[in-house]
Amino acid sequence: MKGYRFVTGAVVGALTSATMMVAAQAAGYPTKPIELTVPYAAGGGTDLVARAYADAAKKHLPQSMGVVNKTGGAGAVGLTEIMAARADGYRIGMGTVELTMLPHMGIARFTADDFTPIARLNAEPSAITVNVDSPFKTFEDFLANAKANPGKVRIGNSGTGAIWHLAAAALQEKTGASFSHIPYDGANPAVTALLGNHIEAVSVSPAEVVNHVAAGKLRILAVMGDERSAAFPEVPTVKEKGIDLSVYTWRGIVVPKKTPQAVVDTLREASKATANEPAFKETLTKMNLTLAYADGPEFGEMIKKDNAFFKDLMTKLGMAK
Amino acid sequence: MYEIDMLLQGFANLANEPLPLLLALIGVTLGIIIGVLPGLTATMGVAILLPFTFGMDPVSAILMLCGVFFGGIFGGSITAILLKIPGTPAAAATAMDGYALSQKGQAGLALGTATLSSCFGGFLSVFMLIFLAPLLAGIALEFSAAESFALAVFGLSIITSVSGDSLVKGLIAGFLGLLLSTVGLDPMAGFPRFTGGFNELLNVPFIPVMIGLFAASEAFKSLGQPETRAEVKVYIGRIIPPWSVFKGLIFTILRSSGLGIIVGIIPGAGADIASFVAYNEAKRFSKNPENFGKGELKGVAAAESGANACTGGDLLPMMTLGIPGDAVTAVMLGALTMQGLQPGPLLFKDHAGLVFTLFAGMLFCYAALLIIGLSSLRLMGKVLEMPRAILTPLILALCVVGAYAINNSMFDVGIMLAVGVVGFFMQRWDYPASPVVLALIMGPMAEASFRRALSLSGGSLDFLYTRPITLGLLTVAVITLALPLLRYFRGNGGNGPTADGATAGTVGSAK
Repeated sequence: MKGYRFVTGAVVGALTSATMMVAAQAAGYPTKPIELTVPYAAGGGTDLVARAYADAAKKHLPQSMGVVNKTGGAGAVGLTEIMAARADGYRIGMGTVELTMLPHMGIARFTADDFTPIARLNAEPSAITVNVDSPFKTFEDFLANAKANPGKVRIGNSGTGAIWHLAAAALQEKTGASFSHIPYDGANPAVTALLGNHIEAVSVSPAEVVNHVAAGKLRILAVMGDERSAAFPEVPTVKEKGIDLSVYTWRGIVVPKKTPQAVVDTLREASKATANEPAFKETLTKMNLTLAYADGPEFGEMIKKDNAFFKDLMTKLGMAK
Repeated sequence: MYEIDMLLQGFANLANEPLPLLLALIGVTLGIIIGVLPGLTATMGVAILLPFTFGMDPVSAILMLCGVFFGGIFGGSITAILLKIPGTPAAAATAMDGYALSQKGQAGLALGTATLSSCFGGFLSVFMLIFLAPLLAGIALEFSAAESFALAVFGLSIITSVSGDSLVKGLIAGFLGLLLSTVGLDPMAGFPRFTGGFNELLNVPFIPVMIGLFAASEAFKSLGQPETRAEVKVYIGRIIPPWSVFKGLIFTILRSSGLGIIVGIIPGAGADIASFVAYNEAKRFSKNPENFGKGELKGVAAAESGANACTGGDLLPMMTLGIPGDAVTAVMLGALTMQGLQPGPLLFKDHAGLVFTLFAGMLFCYAALLIIGLSSLRLMGKVLEMPRAILTPLILALCVVGAYAINNSMFDVGIMLAVGVVGFFMQRWDYPASPVVLALIMGPMAEASFRRALSLSGGSLDFLYTRPITLGLLTVAVITLALPLLRYFRGNGGNGPTADGATAGTVGSAK
């Protein structure tokens, strides 16, 4: 009995490895370790997603994956490096929403078209959050006040030209309300300022305020997502309020444009399996991040849409070059 | 007392389950090594180690990271004292008097004082974290952009006390630093300034500049000196300061620790600012401020206790409010979250046992730091016995590796070497390096906070005098700036202490 089971196991094992071999041989890839370039510093959210991905991908690729951080220039340095890497699939990158924003600001040598999308792994919407002592109880209160007192409602963001600034600017654009945008050096300091009642609201993602909401210090009024957030099902979306707007930050695997199709396919397969890996899901959950897997083509559509959206928005804001 | 009971229980937990203690020990050792190496800062150490802690239980993971944090802040002082190479930005203030003591043959005493002060500062800050956390947490929220601006201006005014012999040269160096700090992304409008089209320059390359200014310039200088200089015979000498000396330092250490804790609590201000502020106040309260910069033990004690007291201060808002005080605690916040612990008021309510076990472990970390620190000093001091023909290339190699390691970028290595050449000439012509570093730390903070405060107030400058903390800090800054002028006019009669005139003379002629 035991032997029988062993034989079955061996046969199944051989078959699986045979199919994997075929796939691998078809591309001749990967025959050496893959380097995953992260355009942000070690220890940050993007870095942790990348490390969890690299770790979970081991099971689905015959070679290991190492994470390399290339920081600087709000992500421009690392993203440029990914774009300029040899298109053989041995240097892949963690692309973020910034790759659809930086090119329009004239501080990047790449455009969104220079990358082939492999898989989106995570996405977080923008949200309007206020202090629990704030007079704004609902999103309507908030908006009405911003319209009645132009420039008096101060919204903290994670830096001028960064995703949460653009989210607030887009909301202003869509509703005709007028905010005063206060840039901080990242989302955390903006949230700190909100906790100290130095500003009226922040436009960062729910994941970045979840602790304070749980502690009863902050209140989320609305999320700028396509649907309600799983963590806060009682918070409405701005779409429900009749504002056609959704702004997400996202993270996903990208490779240089000229990467051969066989390599792209191998990576897409592996990424799909990795995104379903329990360990990967668990890491994201622990970090309060939302798993938002999307395969290459779908991810590519979203990049194209965001690229057009930010180009238009940044031109209107006078930030585009 | 609830806190004492809980703390004792925390110690009991650790004694029953000694694995976290072992990991904390490893963390402290790693931290000291990371701190010693130029370019590797405490922040990087914690970030690099973070993924390795995912598989551990929460207490082990956090204590190991705390060990690296504490050890990293302290470790920078060792090379600062022995070689004038601050391993971390916080040790730049230690280098001034520490290296001067080293040259006088009192390296051991300086290192011992640094270790003792670091640990005292650390212990005090952890005790404060245990007993006063809820009381002090509010300070962090009071601090808005206006207060940060005032703090940065006060920080800049410290240039007057780290300028060395010539205030004018110090100010020139300070303005050089301020000019450099304008390179990069405009903090408010987000467009690139003075980058020459290099994406690498979108952030001010602070660490490469610091390594170049202190370490590479020192290496270049020693390349230019023949190997014939009569070396100081006593390399290390006594390590633990005699009681009579230590007695004189206690008040300085207490004051500096208090300042370090407060700076730590303030969001956006870390150990680098704390050590300079503590140094400045030690000089202000000293009876012989003219000794500072020429080998004053109080300078070392103040900078080190300030920097390490900052650790507990940094952890305070992170643990009680869930807001990180600086870059290191931002990474540690991630570590806590990954362990399923949500920092904030609920942490103390839901996981009180665990929190106090962590506190007990932090005290253990500082005890370990004291023992590891003191016992390794003699070994570290061997560096001084190394022939310069070996030491100098070794330092240059470390500089290159350190500059490369921050961003994995050769661009930074180039910056480090170029700044090293500038630093060499600055040293030759007696321009102090510390004001440049200080301006690079405070300049961006002053600029961003001032402009942020302006947009918060809708363009009105009222925040400069309507907010008590802002007004207070700005007043202190003005006094700090005006003091040397007053001294100059009052002391024009030329009644400077003759002994100091003599030491200044010998230092000058040694060049």
